[in-house]
Parts: sequence; C-alpha cells; structure tokens
Amino acid sequence: MRFSDFTPFDIWLLLQGLGVSLGLFLSTSLIGLLIGTSWAVCRFYRVPVLTPVITFIAELLKNSPVLVQLFLVFFGLPGLLHIRITPTTAAMITLSANSAAFVYVIAVSAIESIGRDQIEAARVFGLTRWQVLRHVVAPQAMAFAIGPLTALLVNQLQVTSLISVIGVVDLTKIGNILNLRTLKPFIVWTVVGLLYYVCAKLLAWLGARFENRLRAHAAWRGL
Amino acid sequence: MLKVDNVKKAFGPVTVLDGVNLTIKPGEVVSILGSSGSGKSTLIRCINGLERLNGGRITVDDFDVGKPKELSEARKRSATVFQLFNLYPHMTVLGNVTLAPIEVLKKPRAEADATARALLQSVGLGDRADAYPAQLSGGQRQRVGICRALAMQPRYLLLDEVTSALDPEMTAEVLAILAKLAAEGTTMLFVTHEIEFARQISNRIVFLDKGKLLVDLPTAEFFAAEGGMANPRIAQFLSKMRKD
Repeated sequence: MRFSDFTPFDIWLLLQGLGVSLGLFLSTSLIGLLIGTSWAVCRFYRVPVLTPVITFIAELLKNSPVLVQLFLVFFGLPGLLHIRITPTTAAMITLSANSAAFVYVIAVSAIESIGRDQIEAARVFGLTRWQVLRHVVAPQAMAFAIGPLTALLVNQLQVTSLISVIGVVDLTKIGNILNLRTLKPFIVWTVVGLLYYVCAKLLAWLGARFENRLRAHAAWRGL
Repeated sequence: MLKVDNVKKAFGPVTVLDGVNLTIKPGEVVSILGSSGSGKSTLIRCINGLERLNGGRITVDDFDVGKPKELSEARKRSATVFQLFNLYPHMTVLGNVTLAPIEVLKKPRAEADATARALLQSVGLGDRADAYPAQLSGGQRQRVGICRALAMQPRYLLLDEVTSALDPEMTAEVLAILAKLAAEGTTMLFVTHEIEFARQISNRIVFLDKGKLLVDLPTAEFFAAEGGMANPRIAQFLSKMRKD
C-alpha cells in the first residue's frame, strides 16, 4: 500500500474533524443566540447607555471580515493583554461574538415586526413589560425570526471552516491534511464539501419544520 | 368612580384634549360623540394609561393613572375594547380571553378557562374557542375582544369605536351584545359614531369638539331641541350624521 492511498482510518479522521466543526458550530451558535437575544431584549427595554454600546459593538462585528476578527483575537489579544489563547478559545470567542451580532439584528427586527397595537392591548390589560415580552412578543418574534435565523446558522456552519487557518483541527483542516497526503484534491474536497452540505441541509430542514410549527396560527400559508 | 379632571393632552404643537372634565359613576353608560379628530379615542387612551397627560388628573376608583405605582391597579379596574380588535394573532380565542386573567389576576387556568368559555358562549362563540383570530370574521373578532375585556371583570368597560371597522350586519351583532351588557348594569364609556344606538343605551351623552367637552347631558336632554340641539355645533353634527 502506498502512503497516498486512502485508508479506512481516514473516515475516522473525517468524522473527528466533522465532530470538531459541529461542536464548535453548535456551542458558538448557542452562545451567540443567548448573547444576541439578550442584547435585543436590552433594546426592547430601552436600557440607557447599554443599548447604544451594544449597537456599536454589533456594527463593528457585522462590518468586518470574520477572518480578520479571528486573527485579531488569536494574534492580537495575546500580545496586548499578555495572555495565552489557544486556537479553540480564539475560535470560540470570535464565532460566538460574530453570531451574536447577526442574531441581534434578526431579533431586533423580529421584535419590531410585532404590531404596536397588540402590545398596547396587553399593556392595557395590566401585563408587565416582561409578561408582554414572554406571551405576546416572543412567540410571534420567534415565528418571524426562524427563517432568517436558519439562514444565518447555515452560513455560520460554513464560516467555521475559517478556523482551520489558525490551526483548529476541524473538518476543513482534516481535508487539508488528507489532501496533502493523498494528493487527490478533487476527491478529498468533494467529500469534505458533501459533509458540510449534508449538515447544512439537515439544519435547514429542521429550521423549516420548526417554522411550520411556530406559524400554525397563520391562516395564510404563502402563495 | 372614574374621574377625568381638567385633562390636557397635546401631540407636539397639536392640542388634542383641552381641559376635559368627566365623571362616570358605577352603573352608568356614557357615550362620547364627536367628529373624527375631536379627541375621543385619545381620551380613552388617556384613561387606560397609554398616553401621558400634559395636565390634569385621571383617577379610576381613586387610583391615579398618572402615577406609575397606581397605574396597574387602575388598569385592573377598567378594560378596553379596541376599534381594530387588537387580538393576539398567535393565540387561540380561548388564549386571548384567558391571558390577562391568568397573568394579571393570577387566576388558576381551569377557572379562567371556565369563565372564558361561559363568556364566549354568551356571545355565540361557544364553538370557536380553539380557533385563531385569523379564522374569524370581523364581527366575531370584536366579540372576542369584548369577551377578553369582560374576562377581567372590569368595573369600567371602555369601548373605543368598537364597530367602526365592521359592516352593518356585524355592527348589529356587536351592538346587540353591548345592549345586553348595558341592560345588565355594566358601566361603560362608549366612544361611537352609532348615534341612534348611543341614544338607546346611554344614560348620558357627552359631546367632544376640538378637544373640548361641549356638553355633558342626560340622553333625553341631549337630543331635545332646547337641550344639546340648541348648540349649533351639535345640531350640525347630528344632522350630517343622520343623512346617511
């Protein structure tokens, strides 16, 4: 057997890489969702000082390349703060923050899409701001946001491939390693691409199912 | 007692309410008439605390609507029915009616459900409890709006042009329910363009014009030639409204 042949162990390697990619994707998405939504809630409550600060940070994160942010965190922060940052930590920080910024934008527009008259009705009946948020705004905002959120998550899954650049052994990095060993780029990258594709499709399918459930109340089901 | 005391409200340079005084005693039905833009809806929005006053005071059973600490108590005592229904589209009819009783009055769900179903039954929607607002006609939606308000067992029912968005048939549907409520002694503040109906159910009629309260008279007096009709503005308004 030549060193450039594929071995069954390569499948195991690919699955490991996929695990790292999915693990990072899921954890950073979850953190991003939590941070992004709580930022949006801050804005719903019109918290002074905090709201403009959040908007400013979100703007910075949205309008610069993820790769640049990743380099800044991985190479820039350690020098500035004299700390050590592992590639995984850098990836976690960058991807979470980046997801948070986009989730924030989606959540804000979702909250603002809810008719003011319903919110007023709920307020008049004596519900507190929190109760209005929980029972009137959130369920409808979720139904509104789930489409854009699914699109965002599908995109974030692809974006995780950038972290291979700073040495995180994710699916793309494994692809790189296999490619260098086997010198069969077409096969390697097709397989890697397909793995991403299947995961993204699965994600989109889950999102669509969830959306249907959340929109159960709407009589209008599109054209 | 619901008391509106010298209330002033302006949106920017536009004065909408200009020193309005009004008292509603329990059991009374008071109708507010006036042309569009006279401040009728704004008055309702001031009473239920949706607008901040520029002057004066509104108290509901001695709870000052203008004081944040008393507003929630004041709001528990009144309930509003809106012109455009303002139902929660993601909740079933039952959910719409029970949300506030459960969350605000802290009623157990079973009790709130039972009350809601009885109310819906009484307005002829007993079989639509599990429908969503989008599946109902306008008249049905407004009946749900009325049930939602009544489920709070309010001492004062505020009705803001509740039939303006409905066709004559649906209007009749809704007015029949209001007539029944009036007969049962429900206290109501009724902003409307349905003059004949107001005449039938009201104890008093109030006429608003350009933010000022022109007259506040018992119904019979309001329509008498020497009473409200003696006021040229009111005579003009009524004659125009009756043409159609």
